[in-house]
Amino acid sequence: MNPDTPSPPSVHVRIWDAPLRLVHWLIVLCVAISWWTSKIGELEYHRYSGYVLLGLLVFRLYWGFAGGDTARFVNFIKGPKAILAYLRQLPQRAGTSHFSVPGHNPLGALSVIVLLVLLLAQVGLGLFAGDVDGIESGPLSSYVSFETTRTCAELHEQVFNFLLGFIVLHVVAVLFYLIFKRDNLIAAMIHGRRAFHPHNSPQLRFASWPRLLIGIAIAAFTAWIIARGLKF
Amino acid sequence: MAKFAGKKSTLLLIAVGVAIAAPAGILLAHDDNATGIFKVRHDEYHKLGDAFKTVRDQSQSSTPDMAKIKTAAQVVNDASINQFKWFPAGSGPESGHKTRAKADIWAKPQDFEAAQKRFGAQGPKLLAAANSGDANAVKAQFEETAKACKNCHDTFRAPEEKH
Repeated sequence: MNPDTPSPPSVHVRIWDAPLRLVHWLIVLCVAISWWTSKIGELEYHRYSGYVLLGLLVFRLYWGFAGGDTARFVNFIKGPKAILAYLRQLPQRAGTSHFSVPGHNPLGALSVIVLLVLLLAQVGLGLFAGDVDGIESGPLSSYVSFETTRTCAELHEQVFNFLLGFIVLHVVAVLFYLIFKRDNLIAAMIHGRRAFHPHNSPQLRFASWPRLLIGIAIAAFTAWIIARGLKF
Repeated sequence: MAKFAGKKSTLLLIAVGVAIAAPAGILLAHDDNATGIFKVRHDEYHKLGDAFKTVRDQSQSSTPDMAKIKTAAQVVNDASINQFKWFPAGSGPESGHKTRAKADIWAKPQDFEAAQKRFGAQGPKLLAAANSGDANAVKAQFEETAKACKNCHDTFRAPEEKH
């Protein structure tokens, strides 16, 4: 480090709460497990992984309305103007942009939404999918015809390709921030904190314990009842 | 701002929906040009899968429809008898036709016949369970029959073509 140009003073502020980070990494794990179990034909574990994923997605949606400031959709989904403005300063290197965005930036928000929608579509299709033999199937397949279970299975395969494409894009974007902008988003998603200029450090509110417990209850119950095929 | 964000996200959802639905249309538009024995075999196994799903769904239901189970079990039973006619020589991948039937079916006829006979033994048992009117017996026999299906598929059926 050149002593003539000291790095700007910074404070570390927590921007991601523990539930959000845990959900993020559990989604990563479950997507990997789902992929692997489908490859090797372990469909029983594939279903379990899907049920967990379903619960995680329900929780993330709930957290998008009831969670802390950085988790709420209304705080990070922005219009084309904000996205374009953000895009314009994207080529600038470290020490500028990331100091001003506590949470998802306007462009990253698009990635969040697309990934969430694709994951929901993927899990939703899996619930109704069935194999060509009428043996293996998702928990809601008994509500639809054999033909429909086959269509869902084919779409389940298709949507995974889209999902994979956007996951690659997501990882490439994060690596761009790490290498080009010297901004370690991965570490932030692990420990939850990011560096801010002292004059610019955000005042963030996080959700209370009762809200967390309600969210876990909603997510667990939804996943459980759907895994049972909506049978009480 | 919140109102705007709502509209934007709705548009985004529609865009993503279209992006997903478009390739689906292509998928569903594919027509099956199979003819002769290839068509017969494909259609019969399709019927079998459909019937097997009915047996599974109904036997696992809290209010099983025994009439549906009986009809479907009859289809499964018929397939377990007729399957021996569905693999004549020359109907393998070497024919150039699109088929998941592996060449091993004809290269190892004794092994294949043994696998077919396993299903041949299970089909009538499923029908008997269905005719007994006991949904739990059907449920148990469904599992046994499924094992016979998988046994043969694991060895003699090629993996599904990836799109």
